[in-house]
Amino acid sequence: MIHKSIILAVEDKLSEVVSATILASLGIEVSVTLGFKGKSYLQSKALSLNKTAQRFPVLMLADQDSAAECPPTLIQSWTRGRQNPHFLLRVAVMEIESWIMADRKGIADFLSIPLDRIPGNPDLIVRPKEFLVSLARKSKKKNLQAQIVPHPGSTNSVGPEYNLSLGKFVLSNWNIARAISTSPSLKRTMNRLQTFRAS
Amino acid sequence: MIVSHLQIKNWRNFQRVDVELRERQFIVGANASGKSNLLDVFRFLRDIAKTEGGGLQKAVKDRGGISKIRSLAARRDPEIAIEVYLAEASGQPWLWRYSLGLQQEIRGYRQPYLTYERVWNGTKKLLDRPDDQDKSDPDRLTQTFLEQINANSEFRDVAHFFETVTYLHLVPQLLRFADSIQGRMIEDDPFGQGFLERIAKTTEKTRRARLSRIERILKIAVPHLEQLEFTRDSATGRPHLQALYSHWRPNAGWQKEDQFSDGTLRLLGLLWSLLESDSLLLLEEPELSLNAGIVAQLAPFISKMQRTRRRQVLVSSHSDALLSEQGIDGREVLLLIPEKEGTEVKVAADIEEVRALLESGFTVGEVVLPRTKPSANQQWSLFE
Repeated sequence: MIHKSIILAVEDKLSEVVSATILASLGIEVSVTLGFKGKSYLQSKALSLNKTAQRFPVLMLADQDSAAECPPTLIQSWTRGRQNPHFLLRVAVMEIESWIMADRKGIADFLSIPLDRIPGNPDLIVRPKEFLVSLARKSKKKNLQAQIVPHPGSTNSVGPEYNLSLGKFVLSNWNIARAISTSPSLKRTMNRLQTFRAS
Repeated sequence: MIVSHLQIKNWRNFQRVDVELRERQFIVGANASGKSNLLDVFRFLRDIAKTEGGGLQKAVKDRGGISKIRSLAARRDPEIAIEVYLAEASGQPWLWRYSLGLQQEIRGYRQPYLTYERVWNGTKKLLDRPDDQDKSDPDRLTQTFLEQINANSEFRDVAHFFETVTYLHLVPQLLRFADSIQGRMIEDDPFGQGFLERIAKTTEKTRRARLSRIERILKIAVPHLEQLEFTRDSATGRPHLQALYSHWRPNAGWQKEDQFSDGTLRLLGLLWSLLESDSLLLLEEPELSLNAGIVAQLAPFISKMQRTRRRQVLVSSHSDALLSEQGIDGREVLLLIPEKEGTEVKVAADIEEVRALLESGFTVGEVVLPRTKPSANQQWSLFE
């Protein structure tokens, strides 16, 4: 296999782990990881990275967040319509949590909840993070609830070990093949990366 | 003068290093990647060169012997080597070159000895040991010429350069409780126990000038601080710093250094040493206990100070705030990359992807620091 490496730009820790897992499954190495300051930071850096991509390929992964903002328009506006072929700007529909939940069996086992609680197409969940937290709320594992669900009165929308707990799930149990079969947006990203690898 | 180029072999956790250095050089790397060990090369040269209580034997002994200094990866070639080039400024041809090789006697007292010691002034070689006398009297090789005033007259500038290297890693507690600890002060005072004596030793005019400059900065950085001054205890004569804080009770606001916060003390020590002299300054993690907003101004402050006194500053750091300054050049950053056979040292600008990103407007903090962090997988297993 030809050795490929890529610069990765992400919104946060959890997106990094998901991206790194996907890239590793394709044998693509990450040379530098940037970001971790949310979506607006990625947006502010999109033009710079589009330029960097003339010399080194870049994968930027952002959350769509709301149905009002459709991915092609987002890409168009972030790159001012001049997207470099090696600037892979991908949008998770709606959030990275959708891709995580796309492995329905994996997440059902992890949270120990019935499989049918998780929608067949996770791309259609409106607020995936909130939804994932609400699933964890019904988990039989008390320990997991304390990690993922915000404590009563908290100013936060997630529990104190949300990233840690889900990140570990992605690293050890998340099944990409199963996830691709349910999330169309993940599948498109995977296809794009495969084309990149073959190029 | 500055150290414009450094080469080392088998020094602590480095098998081989060969890098250019600039006036302002930041050293970044994971924990235990060897940032302090790299700075220690210059402290080692200082310890050899210093006229009082210096010398090769002491410098090696203070570090626990050759076996502690030598890289564990040094198997076939047991020699430790250091080579330093001195120039007027970065990018200029070097004026001096000093190199030495070290080994330990295989039997007997296992004393450290020089395998060679060489000095060049430009292209002219001034010293090339072992010479004939060394060969007939091998004991001579237990001392460098650098440490001997009789022998280093031709390259006194080099000896003086090394001798005046300053290292600062101010530990606020040691300064604050200096009186009650009454402990042994480590030579050259790397941890700032004798910081107040250092201030006391400067002439009054210089002291006033420096303190007023520091006061201006502290007034912005430390809420309610209004005035900073140097005093002496009327009974004991001990030097003190005191600051006036604005307070609802008038005259209640003067506080001595033992009441300063860790951050105030560290900032004071840092600013003082930046203004202190024109010799090589080694700063260990200056960001400790400081607010990110202040840390973010350190890099430009160092640069500003360097316009008036050409003091080379080597800074080890983990700080995002310090290194996210737009004005830091990729050539000013050394990245320490731990590998199986010892840590590799690379200039950030020499890593292709990093260079491309820096040229597209990213800062060192954004691009280089993430490479020094443990992977997500490792981070998440930290506190199992």
